[in-house]
Amino acid sequence: MPDPGSDAPERPPLIVDIKGNALDDGPGIRAVVFFKGCPLRCAWCHNPEAQRPGVELSFDPARCVGCESCLEVCGRGALSRADPGFVDRERCDRCLACAAACPAGALETVGETRSVEQVLAAVAPYRVFFDTSGGGVTLSGGEPTLFMDYLGELLRALKAAGVHTLLQTCGLFDWKRFASAALPYLDAVYYDIKLMDDDAHRSHCGASNRVILDNFRRLQAVAEGGVLELLPRTPLVPGITDSDGNVRALAEFLRGCGVHRCRLLDYNPLWPDKAAKLGAASEAARRPELRRWLERGHVARLEAILHRAGIETGGGER
Amino acid sequence: MSAEPIASDVGTTRRARHLSTHYLVRSLLSLLAFNYNRRPSLRRWLRHADGWFDFAIGFCTESGSVEVGIVFDQGKVRALGCLPAQPDTVMILRDDAVVREMLRVTPNETMNMLLRNKMRMRGNLACLNLFNFFVSILLEEHHRRLGQQQRAQRETERRREAPALDEKRCAVLARRRAEHLTASRVDPGVRYLDDPYLARYSLDDFPRLRRYREAHLRDRPEICCERLQLLTQWYREHGFETDRDGKPWVPELRQAMALKHLMEHRRPIVREHSLLAGSHTTKEIGVLLYGDGQACMFWGELLSIPYRELRPYEISDQTRRILHHELLPFWIKRNFHDWVRERYDEPLCQQLENRWAVYFLWKRLSISHTILDFPKLLRLGARGIIDEIAVRLAAADESGADQRQRDTWRAMILCLEGLIAYARNCSAEAKRLAESEPDAKRRAELERMAAACQRVPEFPATTLDEAMHTVWLGWVALHMENTNTGLSFGRLDQFFQPYFEADLHKLQTAAERETYVEHAIELAGCLYGQHMDQVPLSPDIGNYLFCGTSSSEAVTLGGVKPDGTCAVNDMTYIFLKVTELFGTREPNVNARFHPGINSDTYLRRLCEVNLATTATPSMHNDVAVMDSLAAFGYPPEHLRDWSATGCVEATISGRHMGMTNCMMFNAVAALEMALNNGRHPLMRWDVGPRTGAIEQGAFATFEDFYAAFEQQLRFLVEQSVEYNNILGHAHTLLRPTPLLSSLIDGCIEHGRDATHGGARYNTSGVAVIGLADITDSLLVIEQLVYDQGQVSLAELKQAVDANFEGHARLHALARNKVRLFGSGDDAAVAMANRVAATIHDLFGARLNHRGGPYTTGFWSMSNHAAFGALTGALPSGRLAGKAFTPGLTPEPHASKNLLDNIRDVARLDHRNCDNNLAFNIKVVPRPGSDRAATVDELVAYVKSYFELGGMQIQLNAVDTATLRDAMAHPEAYRDLLVRISGYNAYFVTLYQDMQRELIERAEYNI
Repeated sequence: MPDPGSDAPERPPLIVDIKGNALDDGPGIRAVVFFKGCPLRCAWCHNPEAQRPGVELSFDPARCVGCESCLEVCGRGALSRADPGFVDRERCDRCLACAAACPAGALETVGETRSVEQVLAAVAPYRVFFDTSGGGVTLSGGEPTLFMDYLGELLRALKAAGVHTLLQTCGLFDWKRFASAALPYLDAVYYDIKLMDDDAHRSHCGASNRVILDNFRRLQAVAEGGVLELLPRTPLVPGITDSDGNVRALAEFLRGCGVHRCRLLDYNPLWPDKAAKLGAASEAARRPELRRWLERGHVARLEAILHRAGIETGGGER
Repeated sequence: MSAEPIASDVGTTRRARHLSTHYLVRSLLSLLAFNYNRRPSLRRWLRHADGWFDFAIGFCTESGSVEVGIVFDQGKVRALGCLPAQPDTVMILRDDAVVREMLRVTPNETMNMLLRNKMRMRGNLACLNLFNFFVSILLEEHHRRLGQQQRAQRETERRREAPALDEKRCAVLARRRAEHLTASRVDPGVRYLDDPYLARYSLDDFPRLRRYREAHLRDRPEICCERLQLLTQWYREHGFETDRDGKPWVPELRQAMALKHLMEHRRPIVREHSLLAGSHTTKEIGVLLYGDGQACMFWGELLSIPYRELRPYEISDQTRRILHHELLPFWIKRNFHDWVRERYDEPLCQQLENRWAVYFLWKRLSISHTILDFPKLLRLGARGIIDEIAVRLAAADESGADQRQRDTWRAMILCLEGLIAYARNCSAEAKRLAESEPDAKRRAELERMAAACQRVPEFPATTLDEAMHTVWLGWVALHMENTNTGLSFGRLDQFFQPYFEADLHKLQTAAERETYVEHAIELAGCLYGQHMDQVPLSPDIGNYLFCGTSSSEAVTLGGVKPDGTCAVNDMTYIFLKVTELFGTREPNVNARFHPGINSDTYLRRLCEVNLATTATPSMHNDVAVMDSLAAFGYPPEHLRDWSATGCVEATISGRHMGMTNCMMFNAVAALEMALNNGRHPLMRWDVGPRTGAIEQGAFATFEDFYAAFEQQLRFLVEQSVEYNNILGHAHTLLRPTPLLSSLIDGCIEHGRDATHGGARYNTSGVAVIGLADITDSLLVIEQLVYDQGQVSLAELKQAVDANFEGHARLHALARNKVRLFGSGDDAAVAMANRVAATIHDLFGARLNHRGGPYTTGFWSMSNHAAFGALTGALPSGRLAGKAFTPGLTPEPHASKNLLDNIRDVARLDHRNCDNNLAFNIKVVPRPGSDRAATVDELVAYVKSYFELGGMQIQLNAVDTATLRDAMAHPEAYRDLLVRISGYNAYFVTLYQDMQRELIERAEYNI
């Protein structure tokens, strides 16, 4: 994982997917580019396929037709019906021959290199939809700022083409590089703030929140100039981020920054299934409270805390 | 190409008969004969008005293992152990098992066995239906029990979809109807409506419109024989083929005199609450009968029709008896289908159609898919048109007009006189009712109607009330002449706006104007409500071919005027309001949107109404539609005046006999036949050209295979066109249409009936089914077989023949590793365009019997399900019997991305779609999203599609879970409207395969 502070030349990112027709990732109809790799290790990561930077193999048992084409091509004996996850991740050397042989898309390669030009070409056909709906391109992941040079180049090209740009970020990046490479070409940033308590942040997300909060303050100062839409978002995770205390601290922090709007993101308990396809089952995936949707009443209570602090919730969806 | 012989012609060395089956059937027929010979209560059915029913029917299996017959002769019935010497009808059953199955099912299911090619028929179809009726009398109780069992079983199956009713889902739909956006006046043609969306009005404000809607959803239509009876009486008295002196009739004159007789003697009816006098039938909601069309098709269901599962109709005992004894017998051979069979000795082109699997020709029923010149009737009145014709007649000697022209002119005048007579009768009836009406308000309404019908349609209309009556009474008269299938209104907003403005101009105060606007909404609503007082007669087989359809009468709104300026006006929005208030399947509302000229306010309203009603209106890109017709060189002022017809097809309004749905053509059959060396698998018939046996290594290249596909296609196109042209000829003799002709530009000038090519413009429109399925199959063949060599064509064919059982890998490859049409892939779009061009060019090179070219459209009504059920597995991985995709909508699994779907369809070359297309998408508002935002998103999709060049789009704004809920609990979703392909239907009235097709359509959240 590259150090966010390092000046070493970065490798180009792998792209997990480019999704068209996204309506929940910014205004209008959008295309979303998912980068692969993230500096955080949130236990509940909703996009586990985009967390690690390298190529991965995923297996979806629901799509398997049992033709065994994969067994014939695996040179390492890493695939077996006896294995509950089908793939022995220790033995697998990620040659990906099995994914190429699979006719059903049950075994799939996650992550591929795409040049900036290729990404531009992939979203270009949707341009008319962006224009009629006030939409554009959202860069998400994973964490796009891990690949600041590439990100900057992509944003510059999109901006030059007149496309509305939006970044979804965890906030852990080098401000100077961000400010010069990416910021000038961004129309909007959706900024995730998960936990206000630094110890809790370290233990649940694998890193301190100090840089994240500092970067947010800086970005807010820019947003106040009116050239950038900044929307802080907090993913609600049962038993981790959804406490009254965390939301109260968040409200205080946002107010201190002069922010009057944020969004609480609904918890989606389906991520463990996604993680399982990658053989990345974790302890958190088995916790019963993480396998349930949040109750509407609970969310409303948390929103009320923010409202009392003069902070609106909602927005950012369309 | 020789016709497929029936078993007895083969000269089979009769194999050892399955004695049991042969003798079983024979003894059952003997039993039937015995009963009819001995029981007077049964025997009386053997008689018709002019004597005995004399006919003979044979039954055999293909192998000859069964050969039996039954002869009805002068009131005696005889069962035979062989085929009758001169059978009227022979049923050829696939094998003994099918014979036994036939013995167990109800008469309507016998027809479904025909549909599924378990058996086939030679000879007269009416006789078979008559025989089925005789069987049904004997077995009525038994059949009713069987029907109940089937219904109960299917209900249990449906319940499984969603055991407990989800009331929240019903509530979501109801809430959607209750919310309203508003708008300000921006369209230049909107002169009086301050909020063109008319948000302040709901159905509660219009009790009489609510009554129409509720009756429509609740009341069962009843068979009405008034029309058929008056006409048949006239023909019996005056002759049909020849007149009383034995002289051959001039068909136009015969039709005109009979129509005039009908119009003069029909009961004039003014419905309670209605603002428009006149009706289609004597029933509240009636089923119209056409003897020369499909009436005899339901003979076998005369008893059972109230009990059938799909679309039951009421029928009184008296109607039953009149139909059986007096009316249907007259038409046994005087219908389009049998006329062709007799005159042309059941040509191959007709035999193919009789098997249902390759094409269906609407000319068996009608030529009604056209748009009349109502503006002329409004402007001149029927009297003015009569005068115009009289001038031609007076100058006939000078102009050298021949006898046929003179007779045609006379016929037109008679028809218009009939229309006037009917209006006068309606006027008298309204007056009579007014005299005894105690309620002053209603009395005033009746007097207003009496006055309107006294004046119009005879004379030019001067008010909106009169204009509505002109169109309404003209409409009724046209249905007295022509079958109620797809006749279309045209541009109602354009017709009525001048009268709306003139009326309003006279009013002084704002309050008066507001009351008038409410009156205009009511009038427009009455036109909707009244026109729903009839439904087409659908024999049960039709419930599978065209399930849930109405008469499919299109209304067109918006677009541009003949001079190219914006046509959106007050009446456009009034009709949209009425469309929203009703939310009914009919009329079939089509909205034209002209990018750059029509406003976003208008488009937004179209999307809002579509959301509120879940399925209507359908939206057209005006520019693309006109572009698709460029090759015909219509003058721009005529082209700009186009209207949608039937489903979606463009007709040059009032000038064009386009018969835009002359046939439903299953293009996938050509693909199946190319895979099978000319053999059609379901029909078990080597009917097509021998293009090469894959098992013997045919087709070295993809192009070789494509050439075979094209050759099979050419064969089917030639056959279908030949049949259509023969049927066209049959129409000129059996049912020329002088009233309709008097309202289509060119016919008066030429002195020629529209069926003879009298119209200024003449084309015939085909609906081609299966474009996406063919494209995907060809992509799979090209890529997996020829480009990548993953599989040989022979292996792929084996898998297809086996319905992919035991070929899981190949099935997965076909479904996952080939980029299909709708995935955003350029090669797939190129293939779709290539296939569409091939089909278009084959049809486009041929002429109809009126001398005009064929056009091709890619929409399917419900035939994508019907033809799909008759088609085996395809190389695309689609399994046997599954529905094709509707219209030219991509496969649901082609892409998860709606934008790819929209783009690919938009990239199809319009020039191949000169009979339009139907692109369906199922969009679902996300929970919690507000009305305005949802509508704006719909606008964004539709606008993008149009900007990309897309031609037509129709939305189903309902989610899969709601459809499942509705399948299980139909009683809670009576009015849930869905788009099939080109038309709307109530979801709960569809048969299960069709419901599943809708459920399986890709769903996109918005």
